Amino acid sequence: MGLITQTAQLYYGTGTLPYGGYQFISLVDVINNFRVAYVGEDKIISKISRADIKFHAMRGLQELSFDTFKSCKSLEIEVPPSLKMTLPQDYVNYIKLTWSDASGIEHVIYPASKTSNPTSVIQDALGNYTFDGSGNLLTQPVTIGSTTLGNFNSQSTTTDSDDLDWDDVMGTKYGIDPQYAQSNGSFYIDDCLGFIHFSSNIAGKTVILKYISDSLGTDEEMKVHKMAEEAMYKHIAHSILNTRANVDRNVVATFKKERSAAIRNAKIRLSNIKLEEITQILRGKSKWIKH
Amino acid sequence: MIPIDNVYQQVLALANKEQRGYITPQEFNLLAARAQMSIFEQYFYDQNQADRNLKNSTEYSNPDEMLDEKISVFKKVGLISTSAGVGTLPPLLYRLGMVYRTNTEIELEQLTEEEMLYVRKSPLVKPSAIFPAYYRMNHTQIRLYPNIGGISCNYIKKPTRPEWAYVVVNEKALYNATISVSFELHPSDESELVYKILSLAGIVIAKPGLGTYGDQQITSQITQEKQ
Repeated sequence: MGLITQTAQLYYGTGTLPYGGYQFISLVDVINNFRVAYVGEDKIISKISRADIKFHAMRGLQELSFDTFKSCKSLEIEVPPSLKMTLPQDYVNYIKLTWSDASGIEHVIYPASKTSNPTSVIQDALGNYTFDGSGNLLTQPVTIGSTTLGNFNSQSTTTDSDDLDWDDVMGTKYGIDPQYAQSNGSFYIDDCLGFIHFSSNIAGKTVILKYISDSLGTDEEMKVHKMAEEAMYKHIAHSILNTRANVDRNVVATFKKERSAAIRNAKIRLSNIKLEEITQILRGKSKWIKH
Repeated sequence: MIPIDNVYQQVLALANKEQRGYITPQEFNLLAARAQMSIFEQYFYDQNQADRNLKNSTEYSNPDEMLDEKISVFKKVGLISTSAGVGTLPPLLYRLGMVYRTNTEIELEQLTEEEMLYVRKSPLVKPSAIFPAYYRMNHTQIRLYPNIGGISCNYIKKPTRPEWAYVVVNEKALYNATISVSFELHPSDESELVYKILSLAGIVIAKPGLGTYGDQQITSQITQEKQ
């Protein structure tokens, strides 16, 4: 009955990474378990194709990857002179970008929301648009990029304390915008071309990208943490019942609630809140804050 | 298995009792095959009906399990020979059951040709080595996706054609057990088999009364079984 299939000697002795696989269950096992427990005579789903279960299971894995599972994807590079980093193959969205210093401490890099990489139109001396022989508009090759992006890359830092805009209004306004009050540098993600562009003060630094994927990139990734296993079953069941004809809407509504509850439970469990750690943080509640 | 000579003797006895004529071995063999197939085919429809009815948990009288026991005589496991993504089904196959990879026991999902077209284009449900699929090309071949080998299947085999074989001694047909082929049906179906053959014999030897008698007996038996 036990779920461990290999001996302790084999597990500890072979040195095959990653260890700790027991905390996960593979998507194939989730699909097989679902079929055994939920599909069949006198069960909530009498008959269904495996392709349907697989579809909803994979969609569930995607959805839970975005906001429930722990993300352990990260990539470290040294920023090249081009000041850009290619988005990872399985990139869906970033969690944060940091650069690490000589002590290995990470400094968060913030996004530059007020820049972009627009398509740059080639104009003649009079400012008129230019066209090729087929009448198509001539634009700068994507490898060159736009003037806006070039200017962004060439800036040294984004810090409010030295912001010229603020110097202009000195004496008429006070205070700084906290989102710019840092000198770690900034980045801009060009989703169209799949690059992350950095400001020039990060050149040569070690940059770490922490990101989320949808857990469907490779077969090895298709696994679910056991704390979210029930959420997966409930998600699949609800999705199947919700897309079927002639299913009592009360049943669908019940499973919708069960799914939400199971996902909420999974989120709480996976947020890894430990009493001792919280206590330690709260011990700082009486600390004097100097102004 | 139901011994064919038992059935033939019962058919002859009942036919003679009604003074309705003699059924030759050739006629009997024809009718026997037909009756066996008819009862055999009915198993699947009865099981379908039993599936929809309320079950009971008794050990020997659950209709679903009783039918499964009858069908189990014909259940087989066979290898599917594959070449270039096309699998050839076992020769005596009557109904195809689960198709699976022999070494890993991963089931291949059966799809229609049309479904396969769309499923193959969907990144999420595209057939893979872990989730393979197939569709029936014709009655002897299946198309496998992806192109994999080492495939087995569960299937129901076609019942062997029964034959009451004989040797002629003193101008009389004498039963030859050595080369005869008995019915493969479950022994509980013996009386239904006899009545079915009688019913068919009534048509063959133009004795409507015999056919009516057989039909009545079958109806009575079914009513008793399914009430």
